[in-house]
Order: sequence, then structure tokens, then C-alpha cells
Amino acid sequence: MIRIDSVDFTYPAAEFRLRIPAFQVAPGEKVAVIGPSGSGKTTLLNLVAGILVPQQGRVECSDVEVSALSDRQRRDFRISTIGFVFQDFGLLDYLDVLDNILHPYRITGALRLTDEIKMRAADLARRMGIGDKLRQRIDHLSQGEKQRVAICRALLPSPKVVLADEATGNLDPHNKGHILELLFGSVTDHDATLLAVTHDHELLPHFDRVVNFGDFRSAA
Amino acid sequence: MGRRSWSTIFALIVSLGWSVSNAGERLVVYAVNYPLHYFAQRIAGEFAEVIMPVPPGVDPAFWQPDATAIGEFQRADIILLNGAGYAKWVSRVSLPRRKMVDTSAGFSQHHIETEGSQTHSHGREGDHSHAGTAFTTWLDFRQAVEQAKAVRDALSRLAPERGEVFADNFLELERDLLELDERLEAIVSRDPEKPLFASHPVYQYLERRYSLNLESVFWEPDVMAPKIEWQGLVQLQEGHPADWMLWEDEPSIENRQRLLQLGVQSAVFDPCANRPQAGDFLSVMSNNIANLKRVFAQ
Amino acid sequence: MIDSLYIAWRYLASNKVRSATLLACVTLITAVPLVLELLLVESERQLLSRAQSTPLLLGARGSALDLVMNGLYFDDEVPERVSMATVNEVEDSGLAQAIPIYARFQARRFPIVGTTLDYFDFRGLDIAQGRQLALLGEAVIGAEVADRLGITAGDSLLSSPETVFDLAGVYPLKMRVVGVLERAHTPDDLAVFVDVKTAWVVQGLVHGHQDLAQAKDPAVVIDRTDTNVIANARLVEYTEITAENVDSFHFHGNPEQYPLSGVIVVPNDNKSGTILRGRYLEGERPYQLVVPETVIDGLLANIFRIKNVLDAVILVVGIATVLALTLVFALSVRLRQREIQTVFRLGGSRLTIARLLGAEIAITVAASAVLCSVVLLTVHQYTGELVRAIFIK
Repeated sequence: MIRIDSVDFTYPAAEFRLRIPAFQVAPGEKVAVIGPSGSGKTTLLNLVAGILVPQQGRVECSDVEVSALSDRQRRDFRISTIGFVFQDFGLLDYLDVLDNILHPYRITGALRLTDEIKMRAADLARRMGIGDKLRQRIDHLSQGEKQRVAICRALLPSPKVVLADEATGNLDPHNKGHILELLFGSVTDHDATLLAVTHDHELLPHFDRVVNFGDFRSAA
Repeated sequence: MGRRSWSTIFALIVSLGWSVSNAGERLVVYAVNYPLHYFAQRIAGEFAEVIMPVPPGVDPAFWQPDATAIGEFQRADIILLNGAGYAKWVSRVSLPRRKMVDTSAGFSQHHIETEGSQTHSHGREGDHSHAGTAFTTWLDFRQAVEQAKAVRDALSRLAPERGEVFADNFLELERDLLELDERLEAIVSRDPEKPLFASHPVYQYLERRYSLNLESVFWEPDVMAPKIEWQGLVQLQEGHPADWMLWEDEPSIENRQRLLQLGVQSAVFDPCANRPQAGDFLSVMSNNIANLKRVFAQ
Repeated sequence: MIDSLYIAWRYLASNKVRSATLLACVTLITAVPLVLELLLVESERQLLSRAQSTPLLLGARGSALDLVMNGLYFDDEVPERVSMATVNEVEDSGLAQAIPIYARFQARRFPIVGTTLDYFDFRGLDIAQGRQLALLGEAVIGAEVADRLGITAGDSLLSSPETVFDLAGVYPLKMRVVGVLERAHTPDDLAVFVDVKTAWVVQGLVHGHQDLAQAKDPAVVIDRTDTNVIANARLVEYTEITAENVDSFHFHGNPEQYPLSGVIVVPNDNKSGTILRGRYLEGERPYQLVVPETVIDGLLANIFRIKNVLDAVILVVGIATVLALTLVFALSVRLRQREIQTVFRLGGSRLTIARLLGAEIAITVAASAVLCSVVLLTVHQYTGELVRAIFIK
């Protein structure tokens, strides 16, 4: 599902260079990426999502050579194929829960917002345990509830790939495991592939594979 | 009904319609006294509705109209004023200036200030109130002609298309007034110094114009004067041996008889300020002149 | 686009104070010059129409503007007086009709305008309630006077003393209100009309009191001769004219010398007007005969010169406001960087961001336009009264 070959990426403004000779994630696999801070884990996710384009090499995701797409194509690809879950949740505090979940449908013409989508969003929220909070303001929710909203937003377009960047980073220990469980359950329900960056070693056993970004050796 | 009857009815309807439509074009003229009313009627004829709203028996000079009557004056096309302080009410009401015609303004410099009138002032430096002015201006028939002229001019200004009619009518009136003037002049000229009494100071212009030798008292025809007045008259008679007294109206029998005791006969010279019970201005003045003729014949 | 508007609307609604402040700024900077323009256009119309409908105005030599403002708009500044003789002089010329105006006194802050019945015909003023002036001491009031004071035909109105401290000056006169005029949307709505003789009563030139010839109280008489009685200040003058005492009201001095603040002159035709103007142009005469339209044109030219300066000031303020708003907006965008980043990461483009921000601006501008329209419509509804209150009265 995800394939990276001989990628060489440099941030123009900073002195940071990332070389990934080879990297793969199979369809339906749940892979955790660990490594020291600044090792380029988030950059990896951004390359897979098409947010960044490598100066050299090839990034393939869901059978699409993302690195060869135009800006617009990458955006459309990202919104329809990738579900992103951020450490800081990335929610808009002036929208309520439902509007946050539906947000991707309002910012691009690639997704059409229909009544069916709205019903699916409500259903997704219910399964996440926040079905009764659809009209609540984001700042009235707990951290765990916010992350559930973020997960719903990421999964609503039925993405093939879910990228989670420290999805449990801001959660308390009690919530971490619960959120991870929900994330894993939803990814499984949607037949999606999960690539998650995490610092939390306690969660590693839940993943199919762990990749250490320091040496690209995978640990089963 | 025969053909002739229908023709008559048709003619009547047509003439009624004509006079109704013409009635809408008639000027409405209000006058403060009867002489002006008479002049206006003589001059305007059928082309004006002339109204003098003072009730019979009331002296127009002292009549006080109410708001309704003033409203009627306001709606007139022309308001004929006598001037010379006549009708004090005029200075205390609101009338449209452009409709007001002071008929004696043309000879205002010849108005007579009445003797014996008392003024007042506020503080030693204050302006005096106004002395009285004699206001029976029409008793000088030449002045009456001037007043009639003012009426003619006012009518002609408002209805210039009728100017010729008004002019012709005025000429007729002028002839009548000048004839009165001539007759009176001729009568008095027989004995210009003849002393006369006047029961009320209303003959100032008559006196001046026709050079009458007149002394006035303040008596009313139907009221017996008090004793002190009679005493005054006797004293007055010593310096002014008049054997006739002119009255505005028929004096009471008592007054007449009491005067006779003093050797004074009574004659009526009616100023005709209000509408006479019989006749008109001209006939009343003719009677006045006839009465004076008797006075000067003796 | 609808989605952008929806998100923009939710953003604005959740930041009420910020949104309201922005809205107020934009509305004010837009509405103020427009309102000013509206008021000035209306004031020009009112001033001019009143002036154009008054052919000539005669008054004492001096400030033509004071003469016009008092004669046409009954302004507080009373010019030097002319005498009633000027009215007769004009009418005796046969060239014009003369309508006296004496607008000196006030009744409960409304001008008392002494004039004649001809004024009402000239201005086309009709009685809405009650009747026209008839007797001395009566008043007919404008529609706005009736509304504001809550008085109608049958009530009375007291004239105001000229100064509180002049105890020996003008006494209040209790006037009978006999009529209310139909609304004319002119300064006539705000005036108390009396016969000019009643105005002289207010001044004390015409008054009524007991008959001094019959006066028995020696305390009111200083001296008495055969022809004149001199009364002192103890003599009580009537402060109300009734049916019982109206006969006692009389003039002192020569009424031809009684004062007026101005005379409206209505020439018979253009030629008559030209002749009259020529007569009064002579330098020795203490009068001036002005064309109100010319005087008001001059006033308006000054007003519009000031307006140009005001416009320039408003323009500068407007530019400053726009710059400030732009800065606020830019700072707001910077504060929302995380939100913008999220949009990019989710798949939105720069155009998406532009649309979202543009939608916020569009909603703010549209709301401001609506508010502006409401303000302008409201001002337009009351322009006449506002102009009279601010500029004319």
C-alpha cells in the first residue's frame, strides 16, 4: 500500500536532509514508526500524504505515485485517500463537533457533502462514543473526546491510508489505550492501512510492525 | 302642457343657469358701514355681493364682531374700511392686508382730530396714546366721492374686465353725491353764520365742508339729558344763540319739548352709518338736506 | 462557496466582540460620509426651496444672512429692526405686496412670528384644526409645535420673557391657540404665528389697562391735565386679551414706527422686482432688499467648502481605518496559522484559505452594507426634521 524508494528530501530553509532508501507498508498493516525527535518521522508522513515532494526518489501510496502528482492532484489524492490524525487534534474551536467532522467536505470540491455523509458522520461519532455531543463546542470536550472527533474526521471519507502523528501524544495514560483501541478498530472496520508515528513505547505491542526511523530496520 | 309653457320653463331654466354660473364670478365685498355698502352696491351692481354685517340698530363704529364675523370678513374679496379711526375693532383683529381698502386714505391729511379727547401716557417720557379722530367722513359729500372712487378702484383692480361698468356706475353715483353737495352748499350759503347745536359730535366734516356754525353736546335722541347738561346748554346758548339742534335720529318728545322751552327746535340729520329702516343712503341724505333747508329757511 | 460562507459565518459568530467591532468600524466609516451627504443635500434642498419661494426680503442694512435666517427660518438672531412704514412704502409703490415679519419673541423655545394673514396665503399654509387668527391675542401654531407641546386649538400658550433678569422688560402674554396648521415640512411647522399687532402686545407697544380717564386710584396717576393723564408703573397692564378687555387695548406712539424684523416683498412681476431692487440699492437708505436665493447660495457655497474639507478628513480617516482593519485582519490570520496549516494538511489549497478569509470579509462587508442601508433609510425618513434641528434651528 505504501512504498518509498530511494527518497532524498531536503527542507529548503533548514539544514535537514532525509534519505529513505526503501520503506514499505502492506495493505491493512498497522505500522508504528519510532525514532528520536527530529529524525524526520513527521516528514515521512508528509511525504506519504503528498504534502511534501522529495527532490529525488519515489513515493507510492495506494498504487498512486504521489511524488509524481501535481499540487492539485496531490491535494485531491490526500483528501480522498488519506486520513490524518494530528497530535494537536487540528480541530477548529469555532465549529461544533459535527462541523469539525464534516470539515474536509467543506474545504474542497473533491468531496461532496450530502445528507448521507452527515448521517454517516453522526453514526461514526456514535461508534466513537461521542454521538450525544454532536452540537457541542470543541472547547467543552475533554482531550480524549477531541481526539475521537479528530479520528472521526480522518475516517469519514473512508480513506485507504490513515496517518497518525502522535495521535495519543496529548492524552492521559487512561485515554491512550482507549483511543488507540478505537483507532485500530475503526481502521480495521474501514479496511485501511495505518502508519502511526509515536513516542509511546507502551503502545508498540499493539502494532503489527514497528519501524525504527533511526536505521529503517523493522521489528516484528 | 302647451308648447308655450315648455318654452317659458326652458327660458327660466336657462336664465337660472346663467345667473347661477355668474353668481360664482361675483366679487364678495364686505363693508364696515352702510355708506360704503351703498357706494359699493351702486358701483358694482350685479357683479358683486356687498355685505355689511352690522345688525340693525347698532352703530357700526362701535360694533365688535365675533370670530365668526371676522372669518367672514377674511373670506371676502374686498374689505372696505372707512379709515379715520372708524371701527376700532379693525385694529384689534386679523384681516388680510391685501384685501383691505382704506377708503379715506386719499385725504387722511385732512382728517379732523376731535376736540376735548383725552390721551394718556406711561411715565413722563412715554408716548401718548392716540387722540380721537372724527370718522363720519362721508358727511362731506366731496369726501364721499373720494371714498367712492377708492371703492371703484378696488373693484376695478380685482375685476378689470368690468372696469367700464364700474366707471359708468361711479359717474352716476358721483353725480348724485355732487348734487347733494351743491344743494347743501346752496342752503347753508343763505345764512352761513347761523348758529346751530349738534346733539352729538358727529358732524365735524359736515361743519367743515359747509362752514356750519355748530356747537356740540353729548346727548342721545332717546335719552333725557341730565340737569347739568341742560344747564350747560343754557350757558352755551348765551354765547352761541342757536335756535335749532341737529339730531342723529328723532329725539324723544321730552327732549324736543324741553328744547322748545329754550327756544330750540329739533331737526334730524341722520349720518346714516347703518342701513336705514326705509329708503337708502341717497334718500336719507336728501331728507337730511330737506330738514336743513327748513332750518335755514327760518 | 456556500461552505466557505458557512465556515466564515460560524467563525464570525463565535467571535462576537471582534466581529461586532469590525462591523462597527466598517459601517461607521461608510455610513458617516453618506449620512453627512444626505443631510447636506437635504439641507441644501430645504434652504434653497425656502429661499427660492421668497422673491425678496426687506430689512435693515446689515448682515443679509441674519436677515434671511430670521425672516425665512425664524432664527434666534434678530436683525436690526425696520418700521412698519416700510411695509406701507412698498405697497404704496404699487409694485409689490409686502408681508411684515416680526420674529423676535419666543414661546416655550418656539419662535413667535408676528405677521398678517397674507403670510399664510403666500406660504400655502392651511388650517388643519380649529380656525385662522381673528382677534388680538390669538395664535395659530405649526404642526410640530402642537405635537411637541401636546397642545391644540382651545389651549393657551404663554410667551417667554426675553431675559429672566429684565424685570422691567417684556411681560409674558397668555395667547389663545385657535388653530393648528397642516404639516408643511418647513420651518413653519415649528413656529407660533400671531398677528403682528399681537407681537407688539408681547413687546408692550400695544397694551390694555383700565380706563385712566375713569381711574379712581390716585396711586397709579402721576399727573393729570385737561388733555393728558400720566400713569406710573403701578398701573397693571393686562397679560391676557379677553372679550371683556379687548376694547381697552390701544397703541402708543405712531404705529408706522412700530418694529419689524423683516418684510417679505412679493413683486407683481420681474420688472417691478427690478425697479424695487434698484430703489433700495441706494447707499443712503438704511434698508437692504435682498434676494434670499442669492444669500443662501452664498451660505451653501461656504457650507460645501467646509464639506470638502470634511470629506478630505473623512477620506484620510477612512484610509487609516482601512489600514487598521487590514492590520487587524493580517494579525488575525497569523493567529490562525494552526487552523490554516490544518486545512493544508487535510487537502485544502491556498485558494481554499483565500475563499474562507474572503468569505469572512464578504459577510462583514455585506452586514455592514445592510446596517448602512438601515441607517441611511432611517436618516432619510427623518432627514427633514434632522436638518431643521441641526442646521436651521
